[in-house]
Amino acid sequence: MKNPFAEEPKPTSAWLWQVITGVGLVILLGLHFIANHFVAKGGLRDFKEVVAYLRNPVILFLEVLFLLCVTTHALLGVRAILLDFGLSEPAERRMDQILKTVGFLTVGYGLAVTWVVIR
Amino acid sequence: MSTLDYRKVSRASRWLDVRRRKLGMWAYALNRITGIGLVVYLYLHLVVLSLLLRGQAAWDFFVTVARSPYVLALDVILLAGILIHGLNGLRIAMTGFGIGVGAQKALFVAVMVVSAVTLWVATIKIFRI
Amino acid sequence: MNMVKVPLQIFRYKPGQAPRYDTFMVEIPDTSHVIDAIDTVWAIHDRSLAFRRACHHSSCGSCAIRINGVEKLPCVTRVTDVWGGHDPLRLEPLRNFPVVSDLVVDVTGLFQRMSAADMSMICEAEAFLPFTVDTFAVAGLDPKLVELPENFSRFSRFEKCIECGICVSACPTMAADEKFLGPAGLAAIHQARKKSNDPVKVEHLLGLADGEHGVWRCHSAFECTEACPQAVDPAGKIMALRRELIARRFSKMMGK
Repeated sequence: MKNPFAEEPKPTSAWLWQVITGVGLVILLGLHFIANHFVAKGGLRDFKEVVAYLRNPVILFLEVLFLLCVTTHALLGVRAILLDFGLSEPAERRMDQILKTVGFLTVGYGLAVTWVVIR
Repeated sequence: MSTLDYRKVSRASRWLDVRRRKLGMWAYALNRITGIGLVVYLYLHLVVLSLLLRGQAAWDFFVTVARSPYVLALDVILLAGILIHGLNGLRIAMTGFGIGVGAQKALFVAVMVVSAVTLWVATIKIFRI
Repeated sequence: MNMVKVPLQIFRYKPGQAPRYDTFMVEIPDTSHVIDAIDTVWAIHDRSLAFRRACHHSSCGSCAIRINGVEKLPCVTRVTDVWGGHDPLRLEPLRNFPVVSDLVVDVTGLFQRMSAADMSMICEAEAFLPFTVDTFAVAGLDPKLVELPENFSRFSRFEKCIECGICVSACPTMAADEKFLGPAGLAAIHQARKKSNDPVKVEHLLGLADGEHGVWRCHSAFECTEACPQAVDPAGKIMALRRELIARRFSKMMGK
């Protein structure tokens, strides 16, 4: 009887990316939270303040990086939970494709909104 | 040989049952629950940001609503989730690299204490704004 | 030595029947271990009760079950340590293994995982299944003169681990993922890697651990280490493997 656990599988970096984006988020989310809720007067920026905030190139860079990190981290987390449902290999591949698509759409949406706001 | 197997859904949700389990399991379950909550919040937040596309009036109205004490209370819950998930995530990253594995329970206690203190201070600041 | 009357609530399952719990009242000495109580149920109350036990001193790992929902070896667990004196003592089979009958689970998966790390559990005589040493003697052959198959590792013992499966039962990821190598399998890989100087074998062992259902599926619940009766610390070994795999990745990236 062939031992299903004796074959070398394909290596994966998902956990490593989860950790890298997670550590990144501790910094970026911290900055985002402080900048938007504790530095901003009244705890929230009105429309004009949002536009001015996002037009700052350093802020824009950090917020885009934040968007990339949070989307990656969130969807890798969702993937980890879905893997617990005992999916077949083809189902796992399909799930990866769907999550990648959702990720691209999420980041694309965020960039599009940002672009319209600062234009 | 006929055996009794349990259904996939009950096996996939086994992590929720923390009865008689130790601190590490509690940390895992808390991380998952806060993680799920934060994913839901992320997409809610992104949808709310679309109000920016509707112009100044729409966004400024949302800001007025968001400053109400009921929404601020929800923000406190959000912050609790962020603190627990973030700090516990750092603990998982550390132990995952083989650092502090023997102290994982003490690290979890430290995470919860720091989260509680930070949340308390932040709540005072949030309601004073 | 005093006698105590202990109510036991035991998980029952026979193929073709729905699972249920049966309650038995056993009278046993107060110094008894839980396995003695199970033995008494079998001997006096119900001969159809299926359970495993062998060494009675936490050396073989056969008897592992859940006692009041927590994985333990009943052969070294005193009844008075786990029974409060009122509610029945609940006995159930290990989780994350298919249940064969009552308290007996199918441990094939556990041994397949150990075997993948080349932690073979059979000794010389068993290598010649279906023959036994007695069979050789009857046939007029001296078993010592019979050669072992090539590359067969002689009796290999995973030093602390008694292959009881308690860590597998305690692991929340093993509950969900049948492909996960699991705490026992990954600890075995770590042990085999530590013992080997052969770079090809080390590469293979680390390769086994590096997949989606290897070390990276562990969610750091640490329940395996908490539950292990032999202080193997499977979680610690999983983290050590992760550290080595990440260090190797960075070395490869740096071109070393």
